[in-house]
Amino acid sequence: MTIRPDNRLLDAPMQPVTCRRCGAGVEVRKASWHQTSVQWNADAAGTCQERRAAGPGVFPGCAALRDSIVQAALDGEIAVPEES
Amino acid sequence: MTAVEAGNDDIRRIEAEAVPTRFARGWHCLGLSEKFKDGKPHTVNAFGQKLVVFQSGDGRINVLDAYCRHMGGDLSQGTIKGDEIACPFHDWRWGGDGRCKKIPYSRRVPLRARTAAWTTMDQDGLLFVWNDPEGNPPPPEVTIPRIEGATRDDWTDWVWTETIVNTNCREVVDNVVDMAHFFYVHYSFPTYFKNIFEGHVATQIMKGTGRQDTRPPAKDGEPRLLGNDSVASYHGPSFMIDDLTYHYDTMDINSVLINAHYPIDANSFVLHSGIIVQRTDKLSGPAADEMARKMSSFILKGFDQDVQIWKNKARIDNPLLCEEDGPVYQLRRWYEQFYVDVADVRPEMVERFEFELDTARPVEAWKKEVEENLARKAAELSASTGRPA
Ligand code: FES
Ligand SMILES: [Fe+2]
Repeated sequence: MTIRPDNRLLDAPMQPVTCRRCGAGVEVRKASWHQTSVQWNADAAGTCQERRAAGPGVFPGCAALRDSIVQAALDGEIAVPEES
Repeated sequence: MTAVEAGNDDIRRIEAEAVPTRFARGWHCLGLSEKFKDGKPHTVNAFGQKLVVFQSGDGRINVLDAYCRHMGGDLSQGTIKGDEIACPFHDWRWGGDGRCKKIPYSRRVPLRARTAAWTTMDQDGLLFVWNDPEGNPPPPEVTIPRIEGATRDDWTDWVWTETIVNTNCREVVDNVVDMAHFFYVHYSFPTYFKNIFEGHVATQIMKGTGRQDTRPPAKDGEPRLLGNDSVASYHGPSFMIDDLTYHYDTMDINSVLINAHYPIDANSFVLHSGIIVQRTDKLSGPAADEMARKMSSFILKGFDQDVQIWKNKARIDNPLLCEEDGPVYQLRRWYEQFYVDVADVRPEMVERFEFELDTARPVEAWKKEVEENLARKAAELSASTGRPA
């Protein structure tokens, strides 16, 4: 099976964000203030402090990275479409 | 109002490649293990083949290709004799390791008397079989996690169901990311929705609220359903464990729900549901068992609602998503890891991906819809009774 790209990424691709605490680099997309996609890679997973400290089971997400993404959105580093 | 994008008048075509002829690598649940411990061989059609499942004298449950390598007899119609399954055609005896151990009427077993055997695991009352087109043993890191409540006295026994569904099993996996269908197809009301894919695990975190327009309101004295909290993870391609809590005004009900399947062939699969419920002071003895049965029939209804859709829908590789849909493409990218050789699993298939949905617009729209439904019902009621509602 061919892996196809998400049709939504055609208009607005993922953009790089760096965690302000640990420096982990991820790709982020926000379709609104409350929607967030985060693409990690092996480097980021190895760098993230909360990820490394997490036990087995589902890792819900890194709080520091979350804050960094919010800040990047507020600073205009990643685009957030206006609500219509 | 939904903003409509203008400008491109080309008709969008639905695209779909042929369904894969290969079956997913991973642990698949064949149901309650007890069912296979009745001293008889069982026929299971899975992975495009016919299998025989039998418990040998040593207590182990074994899975072999059902067709005897001698003259093609169906071992699942045979008899268990000691540690072996005996073929009904000429009584050749096959061990759980796939080797022919004995031919009662012959001096010796010919060379290459070996058939396909699947690795099995009997855990938490469930029988699992490892499928791998490459024939490798199951790596320990992809094993199915233990389900604590399944072996504890303060939880009910499994209430288990099995349903044959005539479509490719990708449809059931897609549900992991499909928030909106929970409202329209299953009459529930999601208010929070997030997906996380990492390694061989795909997770859905969902919160929901009670929906007054589709469920009869609680009678006086009955607990009133406020909402639910669910964390559901697929561990590999086919076995989902859902930690599901229902919040009532008087209590919480903790349950574990299993949603699992195994492919029969490319165009059909067996869909399983299992549920256990925790016994508490407020939900003790038979009340807990009754709750588990109720929830099970509720899940079955849910399957039926899905099946009605699947029966009539088109397979689609290029779904057209709006921003309030979940990550269908990224889920399928994750799912693809089970359909390629281990050497061909690419980082993008297993690297962590998170998707948190913005539920503001859906919740707003659905609240309105629920209110309209309630108003219409009230109007119908007052029309039929002649009294104002
Ligand atoms: S075909 Fe099975 S024993 Fe002959
Ligand atoms: Fe569904």
